[in-house]
Amino acid sequence: MKNRIKQVALLVLVGFSTLAIAQQDTAIQVKSTLDMQVAQLPPAVVNDWKPGKSRFLLRGYSHSGLEITEEEISFVGGSFNPLLLFRQSDRLLFEGELEMELEGGETHIGLEYANMSYLLTDALTLRAGKFLVPFGTFVPNLHPAWINKFPSRPLGAGHDGIMPGSDIGIELRGAAYLGPVKTNYSVYAINGPQLNSGDIEAEEGGVLHYALVPDNNKDKTIGGRIGFFPMSNSALEIGISGLYGKVGDKDSKYEDVAAMLYAVDMSYVRNLPGISSVLDIKAQYTAVKVEDAEYPEPDEPGETHTFDNSSTTWFAQLSLRPAFVENKFFQNLEVAGRYSKLTTPEGAPWEVDQDQWEIGLNYWLDWRTLFKFSYRTISGEAGGHGGEEAEGGGDAFFIHWAIGF
Amino acid sequence: MKKIPIIIGLFAVIAAIVISSSCATTSDIASAKSGAQLWGENCLRCHNTPSPETFSDTEWDVAVMHMRVRANLTENEATKIAEFLKTAN
Repeated sequence: MKNRIKQVALLVLVGFSTLAIAQQDTAIQVKSTLDMQVAQLPPAVVNDWKPGKSRFLLRGYSHSGLEITEEEISFVGGSFNPLLLFRQSDRLLFEGELEMELEGGETHIGLEYANMSYLLTDALTLRAGKFLVPFGTFVPNLHPAWINKFPSRPLGAGHDGIMPGSDIGIELRGAAYLGPVKTNYSVYAINGPQLNSGDIEAEEGGVLHYALVPDNNKDKTIGGRIGFFPMSNSALEIGISGLYGKVGDKDSKYEDVAAMLYAVDMSYVRNLPGISSVLDIKAQYTAVKVEDAEYPEPDEPGETHTFDNSSTTWFAQLSLRPAFVENKFFQNLEVAGRYSKLTTPEGAPWEVDQDQWEIGLNYWLDWRTLFKFSYRTISGEAGGHGGEEAEGGGDAFFIHWAIGF
Repeated sequence: MKKIPIIIGLFAVIAAIVISSSCATTSDIASAKSGAQLWGENCLRCHNTPSPETFSDTEWDVAVMHMRVRANLTENEATKIAEFLKTAN
Protein backbone atom coordinates (compact mmCIF):
# COMPACT_ATOMS: atom_id res chain seq x y z
CA MET A 1 0.00 0.00 0.00
CA LYS A 2 2.73 2.43 1.02
CA ASN A 3 4.78 1.57 -2.10
CA ARG A 4 1.81 2.32 -4.35
CA ILE A 5 1.29 5.69 -2.68
CA LYS A 6 4.95 6.55 -3.18
CA GLN A 7 4.78 5.55 -6.88
CA VAL A 8 1.73 7.72 -7.50
CA ALA A 9 3.33 10.63 -5.65
CA LEU A 10 6.49 10.39 -7.77
CA LEU A 11 4.45 10.39 -11.00
CA VAL A 12 2.62 13.51 -9.83
CA LEU A 13 5.95 15.19 -9.06
CA VAL A 14 7.37 14.50 -12.51
CA GLY A 15 4.19 15.80 -14.17
CA PHE A 16 4.19 19.04 -12.20
CA SER A 17 7.89 19.64 -12.92
CA THR A 18 7.37 19.41 -16.70
CA LEU A 19 4.36 21.74 -16.52
CA ALA A 20 6.25 24.34 -14.44
CA ILE A 21 9.15 24.54 -16.93
CA ALA A 22 6.78 24.97 -19.89
CA GLN A 23 4.86 27.75 -18.10
CA GLN A 24 8.08 29.62 -17.31
CA ASP A 25 9.13 29.70 -21.00
CA THR A 26 5.68 30.97 -22.05
CA ALA A 27 5.80 33.74 -19.41
CA ILE A 28 9.14 35.04 -20.72
CA GLN A 29 7.76 35.20 -24.30
CA VAL A 30 4.61 37.05 -23.18
CA LYS A 31 6.63 39.62 -21.21
CA SER A 32 8.87 40.32 -24.17
CA THR A 33 5.83 40.90 -26.42
CA LEU A 34 4.22 43.21 -23.85
CA ASP A 35 7.41 45.26 -23.48
CA MET A 36 7.41 45.88 -27.24
CA GLN A 37 3.73 46.87 -27.25
CA VAL A 38 4.16 49.31 -24.35
CA ALA A 39 7.13 50.95 -26.08
CA GLN A 40 4.88 51.81 -29.03
CA LEU A 41 2.21 53.55 -26.91
CA PRO A 42 2.08 57.37 -26.53
CA PRO A 43 3.57 58.58 -23.16
CA ALA A 44 0.19 59.98 -22.04
CA VAL A 45 -1.42 56.55 -22.30
CA VAL A 46 1.42 54.94 -20.38
CA ASN A 47 1.13 57.57 -17.64
CA ASP A 48 -2.58 56.79 -17.24
CA TRP A 49 -1.59 53.30 -16.09
CA LYS A 50 1.31 54.42 -13.91
CA PRO A 51 0.80 52.98 -10.43
CA GLY A 52 0.15 55.30 -7.50
CA LYS A 53 1.91 55.17 -4.15
CA SER A 54 -0.87 53.13 -2.52
CA ARG A 55 -0.39 49.54 -3.58
CA PHE A 56 -2.04 46.27 -2.63
CA LEU A 57 -0.63 42.77 -2.81
CA LEU A 58 -2.31 39.48 -1.95
CA ARG A 59 0.06 36.83 -0.73
CA GLY A 60 -0.21 33.88 1.62
CA TYR A 61 0.05 30.13 1.63
CA SER A 62 -1.92 26.93 1.80
CA HIS A 63 -1.18 23.32 2.57
CA SER A 64 -2.87 19.95 2.90
CA GLY A 65 -1.86 16.33 2.64
CA LEU A 66 -2.12 12.70 3.53
CA GLU A 67 -1.32 11.45 7.03
CA ILE A 68 -0.74 7.80 7.81
CA THR A 69 -0.75 6.59 11.42
CA GLU A 70 -1.30 3.20 13.04
CA GLU A 71 -4.98 4.04 13.54
CA GLU A 72 -5.92 5.68 10.26
CA ILE A 73 -4.99 6.94 6.81
CA SER A 74 -6.55 10.31 6.18
CA PHE A 75 -6.34 13.26 3.87
CA VAL A 76 -6.16 16.35 6.07
CA GLY A 77 -7.40 19.78 5.17
CA GLY A 78 -4.37 21.69 6.29
CA SER A 79 -5.02 25.38 6.10
CA PHE A 80 -5.41 28.39 3.82
CA ASN A 81 -3.73 31.56 5.02
CA PRO A 82 -4.33 34.65 2.87
CA LEU A 83 -1.92 37.50 3.63
CA LEU A 84 -3.05 40.96 2.66
CA LEU A 85 -0.41 43.65 2.21
CA PHE A 86 -1.30 47.29 1.69
CA ARG A 87 1.47 49.78 1.09
CA GLN A 88 -0.25 53.00 2.06
CA SER A 89 2.79 55.18 1.34
CA ASP A 90 6.57 54.94 1.19
CA ARG A 91 6.61 54.68 4.98
CA LEU A 92 3.32 53.06 5.98
CA LEU A 93 2.52 49.37 5.51
CA PHE A 94 -0.38 47.19 6.66
CA GLU A 95 -0.10 43.41 6.89
CA GLY A 96 -2.93 41.10 7.85
CA GLU A 97 -3.08 37.31 7.76
CA LEU A 98 -6.07 35.06 8.29
CA GLU A 99 -5.84 31.37 9.09
CA MET A 100 -8.63 29.17 7.80
CA GLU A 101 -8.51 25.50 8.67
CA LEU A 102 -10.73 22.46 8.93
CA GLU A 103 -11.22 20.99 12.40
CA GLY A 104 -13.71 18.28 13.15
CA GLY A 105 -15.69 18.95 10.00
CA GLU A 106 -15.96 22.68 10.67
CA THR A 107 -14.04 25.56 9.18
CA HIS A 108 -12.28 27.71 11.74
CA ILE A 109 -11.14 31.20 10.86
CA GLY A 110 -8.56 32.93 13.00
CA LEU A 111 -6.74 36.23 12.84
CA GLU A 112 -3.06 35.30 12.74
CA TYR A 113 -1.97 38.95 12.76
CA ALA A 114 -3.06 42.41 11.62
CA ASN A 115 -0.81 45.39 12.15
CA MET A 116 0.57 48.52 10.61
CA SER A 117 4.22 49.45 10.37
CA TYR A 118 5.60 52.96 10.07
CA LEU A 119 9.21 53.37 8.95
CA LEU A 120 10.47 55.98 11.44
CA THR A 121 14.09 56.06 10.25
CA ASP A 122 16.30 54.02 7.97
CA ALA A 123 16.90 51.59 10.81
CA LEU A 124 13.83 51.84 13.01
CA THR A 125 10.22 50.80 12.39
CA LEU A 126 7.23 51.24 14.66
CA ARG A 127 4.72 48.41 14.49
CA ALA A 128 1.30 48.41 16.19
CA GLY A 129 -1.52 45.91 16.27
CA LYS A 130 -1.49 42.14 16.42
CA PHE A 131 1.88 40.80 15.33
CA LEU A 132 3.97 37.65 15.52
CA VAL A 133 5.95 38.06 18.72
CA PRO A 134 9.67 38.24 17.87
CA PHE A 135 10.58 35.52 20.33
CA GLY A 136 13.14 33.05 19.00
CA THR A 137 13.11 32.17 15.33
CA PHE A 138 10.57 29.42 14.63
CA VAL A 139 7.29 31.24 15.25
CA PRO A 140 8.15 34.61 13.69
CA ASN A 141 10.16 33.27 10.73
CA LEU A 142 9.82 29.57 10.03
CA HIS A 143 6.27 28.41 10.77
CA PRO A 144 4.53 29.06 7.38
CA ALA A 145 3.88 25.73 5.69
CA TRP A 146 5.94 26.60 2.60
CA ILE A 147 8.94 27.57 4.79
CA ASN A 148 8.67 24.90 7.48
CA LYS A 149 10.66 21.89 6.26
CA PHE A 150 8.15 19.47 7.79
CA PRO A 151 4.35 19.12 7.96
CA SER A 152 4.54 19.17 11.77
CA ARG A 153 6.12 21.65 14.17
CA PRO A 154 8.80 21.27 16.82
CA LEU A 155 7.40 20.25 20.21
CA GLY A 156 6.19 23.26 22.17
CA ALA A 157 5.95 25.52 19.13
CA GLY A 158 2.35 24.87 18.07
CA HIS A 159 -0.71 26.97 18.75
CA ASP A 160 -1.08 25.21 22.09
CA GLY A 161 2.63 25.31 22.86
CA ILE A 162 4.63 26.91 25.63
CA MET A 163 6.00 29.85 23.64
CA PRO A 164 4.18 32.92 22.36
CA GLY A 165 2.73 33.09 18.86
CA SER A 166 1.10 36.40 18.06
CA ASP A 167 -0.11 39.05 20.48
CA ILE A 168 -1.44 42.61 20.52
CA GLY A 169 0.76 45.56 21.35
CA ILE A 170 3.37 47.94 20.00
CA GLU A 171 6.90 47.28 18.88
CA LEU A 172 10.06 49.06 17.76
CA ARG A 173 12.22 47.00 15.42
CA GLY A 174 14.97 47.43 12.89
CA ALA A 175 18.53 46.67 11.90
CA ALA A 176 21.87 48.46 12.05
CA TYR A 177 25.59 47.81 11.83
CA LEU A 178 27.96 47.84 14.78
CA GLY A 179 31.10 48.29 12.75
CA PRO A 180 31.26 45.26 10.46
CA VAL A 181 28.69 43.29 12.46
CA LYS A 182 25.08 43.51 11.41
CA THR A 183 22.48 43.44 14.18
CA ASN A 184 18.72 43.37 14.25
CA TYR A 185 16.60 44.23 17.24
CA SER A 186 13.11 44.44 18.57
CA VAL A 187 11.59 45.73 21.78
CA TYR A 188 7.87 45.53 22.45
CA ALA A 189 5.00 45.80 24.93
CA ILE A 190 2.11 43.35 24.55
CA ASN A 191 -0.85 42.09 26.59
CA GLY A 192 1.20 38.98 27.26
CA PRO A 193 0.37 35.49 28.47
CA GLN A 194 -2.39 34.78 30.98
CA LEU A 195 -2.14 32.28 33.81
CA ASN A 196 -4.73 29.55 34.06
CA SER A 197 -5.67 29.43 37.74
CA GLY A 198 -7.18 25.98 37.48
CA ASP A 199 -10.43 27.18 39.09
CA ILE A 200 -12.50 25.92 36.14
CA GLU A 201 -10.25 23.11 34.91
CA ALA A 202 -7.92 22.00 37.70
CA GLU A 203 -5.88 19.98 35.20
CA GLU A 204 -4.85 23.24 33.52
CA GLY A 205 -3.70 25.05 36.68
CA GLY A 206 -0.40 26.85 36.04
CA VAL A 207 -0.62 26.78 32.24
CA LEU A 208 0.11 29.97 30.32
CA HIS A 209 -2.31 30.93 27.53
CA TYR A 210 -1.30 33.32 24.77
CA ALA A 211 -3.04 35.92 22.60
CA LEU A 212 -6.16 36.20 24.79
CA VAL A 213 -8.21 39.39 24.61
CA PRO A 214 -8.87 41.43 26.67
CA ASP A 215 -5.89 41.46 28.99
CA ASN A 216 -6.49 40.04 32.49
CA ASN A 217 -4.63 42.81 34.32
CA LYS A 218 -3.20 46.30 33.93
CA ASP A 219 0.36 45.07 33.63
CA LYS A 220 1.91 44.92 30.16
CA THR A 221 4.41 42.27 29.18
CA ILE A 222 7.73 43.69 28.01
CA GLY A 223 10.03 41.80 25.70
CA GLY A 224 12.73 42.04 23.12
CA ARG A 225 15.08 40.21 20.82
CA ILE A 226 18.50 41.05 19.50
CA GLY A 227 20.27 39.21 16.70
CA PHE A 228 23.91 39.30 15.65
CA PHE A 229 25.52 38.37 12.33
CA PRO A 230 29.15 37.76 13.20
CA MET A 231 30.11 36.65 9.66
CA SER A 232 30.47 39.20 6.88
CA ASN A 233 28.26 37.16 4.51
CA SER A 234 25.42 37.06 7.07
CA ALA A 235 25.47 33.25 6.97
CA LEU A 236 25.27 32.97 10.77
CA GLU A 237 22.70 34.64 12.98
CA ILE A 238 22.60 34.28 16.75
CA GLY A 239 19.60 35.69 18.59
CA ILE A 240 18.65 36.23 22.22
CA SER A 241 15.04 36.86 23.24
CA GLY A 242 13.41 37.72 26.55
CA LEU A 243 9.91 38.44 27.79
CA TYR A 244 8.63 39.40 31.26
CA GLY A 245 5.27 40.33 32.74
CA LYS A 246 2.60 39.59 35.31
CA VAL A 247 0.27 36.84 34.19
CA GLY A 248 -2.33 36.46 36.95
CA ASP A 249 -5.87 37.85 36.96
CA LYS A 250 -6.29 41.25 38.56
CA ASP A 251 -7.83 41.11 42.06
CA SER A 252 -7.17 37.39 42.34
CA LYS A 253 -4.62 35.65 44.56
CA TYR A 254 -2.50 35.27 41.42
CA GLU A 255 -2.33 38.99 40.56
CA ASP A 256 1.34 39.28 41.56
CA VAL A 257 2.44 36.10 39.80
CA ALA A 258 4.86 36.90 36.99
CA ALA A 259 6.40 34.87 34.21
CA MET A 260 9.69 35.18 32.45
CA LEU A 261 10.60 33.55 29.17
CA TYR A 262 13.87 33.60 27.33
CA ALA A 263 15.20 31.97 24.19
CA VAL A 264 18.44 31.55 22.31
CA ASP A 265 18.25 30.86 18.60
CA MET A 266 20.66 30.38 15.74
CA SER A 267 20.55 30.12 11.99
CA TYR A 268 23.36 29.07 9.68
CA VAL A 269 22.80 28.99 5.93
CA ARG A 270 25.58 28.66 3.39
CA ASN A 271 26.45 27.24 0.02
CA LEU A 272 28.72 24.21 -0.04
CA PRO A 273 30.44 24.42 -3.46
CA GLY A 274 32.16 21.07 -2.93
CA ILE A 275 28.85 19.22 -3.07
CA SER A 276 26.89 21.87 -5.03
CA SER A 277 24.41 22.20 -2.18
CA VAL A 278 22.83 24.62 0.26
CA LEU A 279 23.16 23.75 3.93
CA ASP A 280 20.56 25.15 6.34
CA ILE A 281 20.80 24.69 10.11
CA LYS A 282 18.33 26.15 12.60
CA ALA A 283 18.10 25.74 16.36
CA GLN A 284 16.28 27.30 19.30
CA TYR A 285 16.23 26.81 23.07
CA THR A 286 13.32 28.21 25.08
CA ALA A 287 12.80 28.38 28.83
CA VAL A 288 9.63 29.44 30.65
CA LYS A 289 9.49 30.21 34.36
CA VAL A 290 6.27 31.13 36.19
CA GLU A 291 6.55 32.24 39.83
CA ASP A 292 5.40 29.73 42.41
CA ALA A 293 1.70 29.63 43.24
CA GLU A 294 -0.90 27.26 44.71
CA TYR A 295 -3.31 25.61 42.29
CA PRO A 296 -6.40 23.42 42.91
CA GLU A 297 -5.67 19.73 43.30
CA PRO A 298 -7.44 17.94 40.40
CA ASP A 299 -8.37 14.81 42.31
CA GLU A 300 -9.09 16.35 45.73
CA PRO A 301 -11.62 19.21 45.67
CA GLY A 302 -10.75 21.94 48.18
CA GLU A 303 -7.10 20.96 48.35
CA THR A 304 -4.26 22.79 46.62
CA HIS A 305 -0.83 21.85 45.38
CA THR A 306 2.20 23.59 43.99
CA PHE A 307 5.14 22.73 41.76
CA ASP A 308 8.16 24.33 40.18
CA ASN A 309 6.45 25.88 37.17
CA SER A 310 9.39 25.72 34.77
CA SER A 311 9.24 24.43 31.21
CA THR A 312 11.84 24.09 28.49
CA THR A 313 11.81 23.14 24.87
CA TRP A 314 14.44 23.07 22.16
CA PHE A 315 14.85 21.96 18.61
CA ALA A 316 17.61 21.61 16.07
CA GLN A 317 17.06 21.02 12.36
CA LEU A 318 19.28 20.51 9.37
CA SER A 319 18.47 20.44 5.68
CA LEU A 320 20.59 19.94 2.60
CA ARG A 321 19.55 20.73 -0.96
CA PRO A 322 21.80 20.03 -3.95
CA ALA A 323 20.51 23.18 -5.63
CA PHE A 324 23.56 23.65 -7.87
CA VAL A 325 23.87 20.22 -9.47
CA GLU A 326 23.11 20.10 -13.19
CA ASN A 327 20.29 17.55 -13.03
CA LYS A 328 17.01 19.48 -12.69
CA PHE A 329 15.28 16.71 -10.75
CA PHE A 330 17.99 16.34 -8.13
CA GLN A 331 18.49 20.11 -7.72
CA ASN A 332 14.88 20.33 -6.51
CA LEU A 333 15.28 17.62 -3.88
CA GLU A 334 15.97 18.42 -0.25
CA VAL A 335 16.67 16.15 2.70
CA ALA A 336 15.86 17.36 6.20
CA GLY A 337 16.00 16.17 9.79
CA ARG A 338 14.79 17.71 13.03
CA TYR A 339 14.91 16.81 16.71
CA SER A 340 12.85 18.55 19.37
CA LYS A 341 12.30 18.03 23.07
CA LEU A 342 9.67 19.40 25.44
CA THR A 343 9.70 19.27 29.23
CA THR A 344 6.93 20.83 31.30
CA PRO A 345 6.79 20.98 35.13
CA GLU A 346 7.27 17.77 37.03
CA GLY A 347 4.30 17.20 39.33
CA ALA A 348 1.93 19.34 37.27
CA PRO A 349 -1.23 17.66 35.89
CA TRP A 350 0.00 18.70 32.43
CA GLU A 351 3.48 17.27 32.86
CA VAL A 352 5.15 16.45 29.54
CA ASP A 353 8.52 14.91 28.83
CA GLN A 354 8.68 14.13 25.13
CA ASP A 355 11.17 13.71 22.33
CA GLN A 356 10.30 14.06 18.66
CA TRP A 357 12.30 13.05 15.59
CA GLU A 358 11.33 14.06 12.08
CA ILE A 359 13.08 13.07 8.88
CA GLY A 360 11.95 14.20 5.49
CA LEU A 361 12.48 14.34 1.75
CA ASN A 362 11.11 17.42 0.00
CA TYR A 363 10.66 18.16 -3.67
CA TRP A 364 10.45 21.81 -4.74
CA LEU A 365 8.27 22.61 -7.76
CA ASP A 366 9.39 26.22 -7.58
CA TRP A 367 10.91 28.46 -4.90
CA ARG A 368 7.73 28.46 -2.80
CA THR A 369 5.87 25.25 -3.68
CA LEU A 370 6.86 21.83 -2.46
CA PHE A 371 5.88 18.28 -1.68
CA LYS A 372 6.98 16.95 1.71
CA PHE A 373 7.46 13.26 2.46
CA SER A 374 8.29 12.87 6.12
CA TYR A 375 8.27 10.42 8.99
CA ARG A 376 7.75 11.50 12.59
CA THR A 377 8.23 9.55 15.78
CA ILE A 378 7.46 10.74 19.31
CA SER A 379 8.46 9.14 22.57
CA GLY A 380 7.98 10.00 26.23
CA GLU A 381 5.17 11.10 28.52
CA ALA A 382 2.39 13.33 27.16
CA GLY A 383 0.46 15.23 29.80
CA GLY A 384 -2.03 16.98 27.58
CA HIS A 385 -0.66 20.51 27.13
CA GLY A 386 1.96 21.45 24.63
CA GLY A 387 2.64 17.82 23.80
CA GLU A 388 1.25 15.79 20.95
CA GLU A 389 -1.38 13.82 22.85
CA ALA A 390 -4.19 16.06 21.64
CA GLU A 391 -3.19 15.52 18.01
CA GLY A 392 -2.98 11.77 18.20
CA GLY A 393 0.76 11.70 18.78
CA GLY A 394 2.78 8.61 18.03
CA ASP A 395 4.52 7.66 14.83
CA ALA A 396 3.20 9.01 11.56
CA PHE A 397 4.07 9.23 7.89
CA PHE A 398 3.11 12.40 6.04
CA ILE A 399 2.78 13.34 2.38
CA HIS A 400 2.01 17.04 2.34
CA TRP A 401 2.01 19.74 -0.30
CA ALA A 402 2.39 23.41 0.45
CA ILE A 403 2.25 26.47 -1.73
CA GLY A 404 3.25 30.03 -0.97
CA PHE A 405 1.93 32.76 -3.20
CA MET B 1 12.76 36.04 39.37
CA LYS B 2 16.53 35.91 39.62
CA LYS B 3 16.74 36.37 35.84
CA ILE B 4 15.14 39.82 35.84
CA PRO B 5 18.58 41.49 35.70
CA ILE B 6 19.31 39.48 32.56
CA ILE B 7 16.30 40.82 30.75
CA ILE B 8 16.96 44.35 31.98
CA GLY B 9 20.45 44.02 30.59
CA LEU B 10 19.01 42.80 27.32
CA PHE B 11 16.82 45.88 27.05
CA ALA B 12 19.80 48.10 27.83
CA VAL B 13 21.70 46.55 24.93
CA ILE B 14 18.73 47.00 22.64
CA ALA B 15 18.33 50.63 23.70
CA ALA B 16 22.00 51.28 23.01
CA ILE B 17 21.72 49.83 19.55
CA VAL B 18 18.55 51.74 18.79
CA ILE B 19 20.29 54.99 19.74
CA SER B 20 23.35 54.15 17.71
CA SER B 21 21.36 52.98 14.73
CA SER B 22 20.63 56.49 13.50
CA CYS B 23 24.25 56.88 12.47
CA ALA B 24 25.10 53.30 11.52
CA THR B 25 22.59 52.00 9.03
CA THR B 26 25.26 50.54 6.82
CA SER B 27 28.91 49.57 6.87
CA ASP B 28 31.72 49.39 4.34
CA ILE B 29 31.05 45.69 3.90
CA ALA B 30 27.34 46.21 3.35
CA SER B 31 27.91 49.13 0.98
CA ALA B 32 30.16 46.98 -1.18
CA LYS B 33 27.54 44.27 -1.59
CA SER B 34 25.39 44.16 -4.72
CA GLY B 35 21.63 43.81 -4.71
CA ALA B 36 21.98 40.27 -6.00
CA GLN B 37 24.34 39.38 -3.16
CA LEU B 38 22.04 40.89 -0.53
CA TRP B 39 19.06 39.09 -2.15
CA GLY B 40 20.89 35.79 -1.81
CA GLU B 41 22.13 36.35 1.73
CA ASN B 42 18.98 37.75 3.30
CA CYS B 43 16.16 35.82 1.61
CA LEU B 44 17.86 32.46 1.94
CA ARG B 45 18.09 32.81 5.69
CA CYS B 46 14.40 31.86 6.00
CA HIS B 47 13.26 30.61 2.59
CA ASN B 48 14.41 29.98 -0.97
CA THR B 49 15.48 33.04 -2.91
CA PRO B 50 12.47 34.36 -4.84
CA SER B 51 12.60 34.43 -8.60
CA PRO B 52 12.67 38.06 -9.84
CA GLU B 53 9.98 37.06 -12.36
CA THR B 54 7.51 36.35 -9.57
CA PHE B 55 6.18 39.91 -9.34
CA SER B 56 5.97 43.09 -11.38
CA ASP B 57 8.03 46.14 -10.40
CA THR B 58 5.03 47.61 -8.61
CA GLU B 59 4.39 44.40 -6.69
CA TRP B 60 8.05 44.11 -5.72
CA ASP B 61 7.79 47.54 -4.07
CA VAL B 62 5.17 46.09 -1.72
CA ALA B 63 6.85 42.73 -1.20
CA VAL B 64 10.27 44.21 -0.45
CA MET B 65 8.81 46.80 1.94
CA HIS B 66 7.06 43.94 3.72
CA MET B 67 10.31 42.00 3.97
CA ARG B 68 12.15 45.12 5.12
CA VAL B 69 9.88 45.08 8.18
CA ARG B 70 9.63 41.33 8.72
CA ALA B 71 13.24 40.40 7.99
CA ASN B 72 14.72 43.52 9.58
CA LEU B 73 16.48 44.85 6.50
CA THR B 74 18.12 48.25 6.56
CA GLU B 75 16.88 50.88 4.11
CA ASN B 76 20.09 50.48 2.10
CA GLU B 77 19.67 46.70 1.85
CA ALA B 78 15.99 46.89 0.90
CA THR B 79 16.65 49.48 -1.82
CA LYS B 80 19.43 47.43 -3.38
CA ILE B 81 17.40 44.21 -3.30
CA ALA B 82 14.38 45.92 -4.87
CA GLU B 83 16.52 47.40 -7.64
CA PHE B 84 18.03 44.01 -8.39
CA LEU B 85 14.64 42.28 -8.53
CA LYS B 86 13.18 44.96 -10.82
CA THR B 87 16.18 44.84 -13.12
CA ALA B 88 16.18 41.08 -13.35
CA ASN B 89 12.44 40.44 -13.76
